[in-house]
Amino acid sequence: MSAALTAVPDHVILLETRALGFYRQDEPVFASLNFRLRAGELGLIEGDNGSGKTTLMRILAGLLHVDEGELYWRGQPLQREHCLGEVLFLGHQLGLKADLSPSENLQVAVGLHGYRAQTTLSAALAEVGLSGYEDEPVRRLSAGQKKRAALARLVLLPAKLWLLDEPYANLDRTGIALVNRLLEEHLARDGAALVTSHGTVSFHGGEPQRIRMHA
Amino acid sequence: MSRPGLTTACAAMLRRDLTLAWRRRGDIAMPVLYALIVTMLFPFALGPEDTLLERIAGGVVLVTILLAMLLALDTMFSSDIEDGSLEQLVLAPQPLALMLAMKILAHWLTTALPLIVISPLLAGMLHLPTSVMPVLMLALLLSTPMLSLLGAILVALTAGTRRSGMLLALMLLPLCVPVVIFAAGAVAASQQGLPWLAPIAWLGAALVLLLVLAPLACAAALRIALDA
Amino acid sequence: MSKWIPLWLHKLSSPPTFYRFAGALRPWLLALALLTGAIALYGGLVLAPADYQQGDAYRIIFIHVPSAWMSLFIYGVMGFAAFLALVWRIKLAEVVAMTSAPIGAAFTFITLVTGSLWGKPMWGTWWTWDARLTSELVLLFLYLGVIGLYHAFEDRRQGARAAAFLALIGIINVPIVHFSVNWWNTLHQGSTIRLLGPSTIAPGMLWPLLTMMLATKFYYLASLFGRVRTDLLDLESGKDWVRTIATGSTLQ
Repeated sequence: MSAALTAVPDHVILLETRALGFYRQDEPVFASLNFRLRAGELGLIEGDNGSGKTTLMRILAGLLHVDEGELYWRGQPLQREHCLGEVLFLGHQLGLKADLSPSENLQVAVGLHGYRAQTTLSAALAEVGLSGYEDEPVRRLSAGQKKRAALARLVLLPAKLWLLDEPYANLDRTGIALVNRLLEEHLARDGAALVTSHGTVSFHGGEPQRIRMHA
Repeated sequence: MSRPGLTTACAAMLRRDLTLAWRRRGDIAMPVLYALIVTMLFPFALGPEDTLLERIAGGVVLVTILLAMLLALDTMFSSDIEDGSLEQLVLAPQPLALMLAMKILAHWLTTALPLIVISPLLAGMLHLPTSVMPVLMLALLLSTPMLSLLGAILVALTAGTRRSGMLLALMLLPLCVPVVIFAAGAVAASQQGLPWLAPIAWLGAALVLLLVLAPLACAAALRIALDA
Repeated sequence: MSKWIPLWLHKLSSPPTFYRFAGALRPWLLALALLTGAIALYGGLVLAPADYQQGDAYRIIFIHVPSAWMSLFIYGVMGFAAFLALVWRIKLAEVVAMTSAPIGAAFTFITLVTGSLWGKPMWGTWWTWDARLTSELVLLFLYLGVIGLYHAFEDRRQGARAAAFLALIGIINVPIVHFSVNWWNTLHQGSTIRLLGPSTIAPGMLWPLLTMMLATKFYYLASLFGRVRTDLLDLESGKDWVRTIATGSTLQ
């Protein structure tokens, strides 16, 4: 499978939505959303509170059922089996067990996803600035440190598409810079990422595609 | 980037859940204490008459252990849903049903196994003859995994709701009726000196069937519960 | 949706169409239910001969047996609708499954109450652990579980899907319970009483029974249609067709 991935040309469209819509109790959350995300591209999903950014993320991750419209992954109608292991999702809930240490949490993730080439667990924790906290239970970490522990998954695990829901929340200035650096490295590897944020984000690595959410 | 094999993934899940249970080992003792206290109440309620207690011992121990397991069921997925671990598990490139089977196994090891270990003590408190003990433990060994598996499906279904304790009991107990009948039937038959292998064989067959189907049903139920 | 569903069924399953269809049929069904019910009651309570063993007490079967039959029939309908709802996500199927549950639970409850009322003069006890009665009791709990699960969710469509899943699990459970209670009775040598006393039934008793079965079917459909209409209005309250009805225009 990995051989097939590297053979794919750079400009390929990884993810495409056609007239995507979602309803909650028959009230449209958003409607007729069209965008294409290519390899090496960053999509910035913008919208106010309640505009359905998180909902969109959960649909793209495959957690929510598509009500209306179509989703394509590498030009094929998206099915969960096709993109398993190619998508990493970072949601509001970080998916960390409070009773386990950051390194134990990452070991579980690695057990399920495997390592990305040329990474180690300690290097990943060092990169997100958690050296010295490897064996501390996650419950004793600050909110920002927890976020960093979750971000270490992005460093450590292999994936083509990152879905990051509010990755900047709870982070200080160096943390925000960390997220941006991780994103730049990921795009340089021909990865793609979708990022939600309701504030303005200054991203230095080229102009991201802006996707505006509306009902 | 090679995807880890199933064995690696299963081991990671099992180790994770067992480590978590060990970090909170006080919780493991709770169902055991509950079962001891409930069993103790029966002689007080019914009188200390040996023959009466002996006759009801098998059934009382089975139902007590069922209720103790029911109390512990709620925790199977609740913390994983709260902290988002379950979403990560659903999105992992591994068969969800198999990963859930590992979670159910870990849950069985940490809640049902201690109960089975103390079951001779519970039965002894009610004067169950020693010769019946092996049959009781065998019946428990086959029936408690079924309760864990059935329970896991229902806990997964209620995962999207807030109040679930009583509802879980209402949903689970009707499904448990056949399991209780056959497990208690085996114990009663052995106590009366009748052949007890047939009900044990039925339990075994049902367990094999559930081992295959329940994780799949559990995975389907969880997808419904997360779809909101 | 699916290619395998016939077009007319697909059209009928659209909420506004079904709303109108059910509204048009419901008065007729209700009238039929009352008419056949009255005929069946007259036949059962007045015309049918008294039983040579049980006297007049047996006449409760004209309520008991059709109710018992309906309790299973409605569970079957609920299970089928639940299957459609889960596989094809048809909104109408979700609504039919969820509105069937309380009606089914009511019939199950009537079966249990009339069964024990009948049991008192016949067997001298209100309750016996017979396989059919026990299965019926478990059936009631299954219905209540489905209703409870449905209402435990904030999102009603999600609740409907979860409860539909539970209903399908329950379908497998009912025969297993019946079988295991039968086995349990042989083990304990308990009272095995057959609910329908004589195995051959006189024609004078049979036709009111069958008529009552028809009456309960009509009643179920009428009640179901009424409930489905209410639920559809509620679920689709944001849609134009509901607005049209609510503002007084005649869609019906």
